[in-house]
Amino acid sequence: MRPVIEMTIARTLDVAPGIREFWLKAADGSALPAYSGGSHIVLGLPLPGGLQRNPYSLVGDPADASKWRIAVRRQEGSRGGSAWLHDTAAEGMRLQVAVPANLFPMARLARHHVLIAGGIGITPILSHAREMARLGLSFEVHYAYRARAFAALADEVGAIAGDRLRRYDQSDGEKVDFEALLAGRPLGTHAYLCGPQPMVEAFHAIGTRLGWPGDRLHSERFVAPPPGDAFSVRLARSGLRVEVPPHRSMLEAIEAAGVSAPFMCRGGACGQCELEVLEADSALQHNDLYLSAEVRAGGRRIMPCVSRACGGCITVDL
Amino acid sequence: MSAAPPAIKSQPQYRGLTWDASGQAHLLLLAARDDALLASLLGALPSAPIRVIDCADALAAFSAPAALEVTRAASLETALGLLDDALARASMGLRLYLAGPEDAIWQAHTIAAAYGMGRREIRLCQTGSLARPVFCVHCRSMTRHVRTNIVPCAGCGRALFVRDHFSRRLGAYMGFQIDAEAPGQVPPAETVYP
Repeated sequence: MRPVIEMTIARTLDVAPGIREFWLKAADGSALPAYSGGSHIVLGLPLPGGLQRNPYSLVGDPADASKWRIAVRRQEGSRGGSAWLHDTAAEGMRLQVAVPANLFPMARLARHHVLIAGGIGITPILSHAREMARLGLSFEVHYAYRARAFAALADEVGAIAGDRLRRYDQSDGEKVDFEALLAGRPLGTHAYLCGPQPMVEAFHAIGTRLGWPGDRLHSERFVAPPPGDAFSVRLARSGLRVEVPPHRSMLEAIEAAGVSAPFMCRGGACGQCELEVLEADSALQHNDLYLSAEVRAGGRRIMPCVSRACGGCITVDL
Repeated sequence: MSAAPPAIKSQPQYRGLTWDASGQAHLLLLAARDDALLASLLGALPSAPIRVIDCADALAAFSAPAALEVTRAASLETALGLLDDALARASMGLRLYLAGPEDAIWQAHTIAAAYGMGRREIRLCQTGSLARPVFCVHCRSMTRHVRTNIVPCAGCGRALFVRDHFSRRLGAYMGFQIDAEAPGQVPPAETVYP
């Protein structure tokens, strides 16, 4: 299980409309565990309906063991985690934070790194750029945003990347041309993208068409658990029956019932929380990025961090 | 293309050679003559450009299609130099095919790896001699074209037992001193890698 640290919100900064940065320090003032560029942490947010755990990429300097920095965009129509961080969270508050894990690491053997960010996707890209600059690696950054006012952290990326940063201002009609960006690159180039889903899809589709092997195209995206129908989960090993309300994830409901279940990213990406479905009297609603179409079709596996059942009752091997 | 898996996991297994249709350009290094292999490759050419570096007169029995850009090299050393030059100018999307004895294809592999090419971009096929490149774990020298199970190290002269343990990074099999426990007791070498 991923260790949890009690942390204090040391500072909040509004860095762009709808984007707020947080500095977190260990509540007991101790040095924080090391992490690598591309890592994320999981914040436990004390929402009125119960604890909600959300993953956020670290944007700070991995060499700084005194604080962790995250930048959070307010997600409209979400389950309230980002809204709580914007409206209620304040300096001095304490949060339970799961230590960093990296599902988006840099390829250390690459000869050149092309980093691409769309919107708030700049967060892991910034920590990569910082680490690559420090290591003296060959890299470049492409940062696309809605308008200059929304380009959170642009100055910080600029300070690190200098003329290796290219900005794309959508309000000026600029957008990332993946065809031009990925064609004719020298052997040993790796490309990394964090951004909205259509951008991720274009990146992989065009890269693949240009002959890039899949292991040279890196992307990271977390899913926020979408709400759905209320349903019940029966835990086969204890016989416990847990009710999952519409706005709570299955994993959160299981945890709220006092059962410890495996998890890591809580965003449908890592595969750690995978459960075997023993019985189901309704369809499974898969929202993760992990299970293959074949496995989903089998109906025996589910990722409880983001996926759910469409009503009724399912039995899982837990 | 042996059916049985190797006793040691690191020992490479080769499964023939076919073109990778996802490539946007192809580079084929031929370091042994294998007419059957060539016939199968030439019979199913992909549409993307193909460059061939041939240092074994491997195309002798064929009239190479015009679509192929063929360079003949007088030696493996020359061929590896041509490969290095080609990779320096190549772009992402290239697929590299290496056919020949393990000594040749793994030297080429080392060059390609230095350009950042990975497993999904390189296909290897052992053909021709089964002779092995052997890395001495004592003095770190390479002894090439080894056909016997025991061989004197080209660097330190120790009698090396040639293991199946293979290093992809070094492109060689590991050789260790066979008479370390009982100095002087070296069994007769047998030709096992013809």
